[in-house]
Amino acid sequence: MSKSARNRAQQRNALTQRQVPWGGIIFFGVIGLVAAVAIGFAFLQSRPSSADGGGSIAGLVQKDDLSREHTTDAVTYDTAPPMGGSHDPMWQNCDARVYDRPLRNENAVHSMEHGAVWITYRPGLDAAQVAALGAKVKATDYSLMSPYPGLDAPIVLSAWGKQVKVQDAGDPRVDAFLRAYVKGPQTPEPGAACTGAKDAA
Amino acid sequence: MTQDAPAADLTEDAADRRPAPRGRRVTAVLAVLVLVAAAAFAGLAALRSGEPGPDGPEAGFARDMSTHHSQAVRMAFTVRDRTRDEAVRTLAFDIATTQQSQIGMMTAWLDRWGAPKTDPAGTMRWMAGHPGHPGGAAGGGAFTMPGMATREQLAELERLSGRAAEVRFLQLMIVHHRAGVQMAQAALTLAGDEQVRRLARTMVDGQRSEIDLMERMLRERGATTG
Repeated sequence: MSKSARNRAQQRNALTQRQVPWGGIIFFGVIGLVAAVAIGFAFLQSRPSSADGGGSIAGLVQKDDLSREHTTDAVTYDTAPPMGGSHDPMWQNCDARVYDRPLRNENAVHSMEHGAVWITYRPGLDAAQVAALGAKVKATDYSLMSPYPGLDAPIVLSAWGKQVKVQDAGDPRVDAFLRAYVKGPQTPEPGAACTGAKDAA
Repeated sequence: MTQDAPAADLTEDAADRRPAPRGRRVTAVLAVLVLVAAAAFAGLAALRSGEPGPDGPEAGFARDMSTHHSQAVRMAFTVRDRTRDEAVRTLAFDIATTQQSQIGMMTAWLDRWGAPKTDPAGTMRWMAGHPGHPGGAAGGGAFTMPGMATREQLAELERLSGRAAEVRFLQLMIVHHRAGVQMAQAALTLAGDEQVRRLARTMVDGQRSEIDLMERMLRERGATTG
């Protein structure tokens, strides 16, 4: 072996030994593992859930800290229709129920406490729109529908602490709202009934 | 020199190949990492697919049976208000407490699966593929599900009292239970989740034996299933 060849071999050897980056491999290996676990965990957490199903509804209005007191007195609510608050001891029956007359706020609010979605529409809304909404309500236990004089939008959907206003019964937000909030995670009294109380408008 | 030359060549060859094993090692480590990551994702995916989806038969069954049950609970409370007959009142108490508790179980499943409690596309869709169920009611309203009493029948039950209320209740509840058994059988056919299958099985057995009991009670009252 020539001296230069041996030197070259030794140089490469030295290079080789210096460049097997065991520390780096272990370091990045551990980081890679942690990253894989973290990504996997995030992946698991990002499962669609009804708990966040309503968060993506455009124009959704939310309200916290609503009173749950029972009272037979008239209650002044700060939105029309109300989104929750003190209410009558009798809930309005909400077993897929279409009422053709306005309801008393105090009863309907109690239905929302039980997990119902209350669909209200401005009197005079096109009959086809009313029929389309009615068909949805009739297919949806824990929903009720009624006209609501003085409404500032053609159609308003309300659940306890949640509300969205739409112009048209075909708006996809109607179905999205029902999916998210019928017996949804906002329900203050899960498991409570939609029958057995006030049956007439 | 003639011997040295090949040795030098070998040494040079070996020296030239040295970077290759280092490259292979890095490659191997990377491959292991990729495999570990892939295994983690596959494991998580398997975990996810083990959980019934929002449109599957398990969720459909939990939603529709909850609606079906809640009407039975309502009818049971009604008849308890309309008669003093201990046998009917006890049966009604049994149906109301059992079915309300089962609604709670099914609601908890839907919560855990992150599944909606309602399907705006209509009730009974999940049963469309079940033999014996042409899916005629699929996409219908909550009150058009098989076995459900109409609002008029419920109103009639609320007006009747004594023996007449007992007979009407038994007739309505037999029809209600028969459809409930069919729905639970569809769940047994279509659902894979073990908890869902177990509850469906208890519904089939429990409601069948209650149908026998109610048919006997009807005969004792000189009435038929109508």
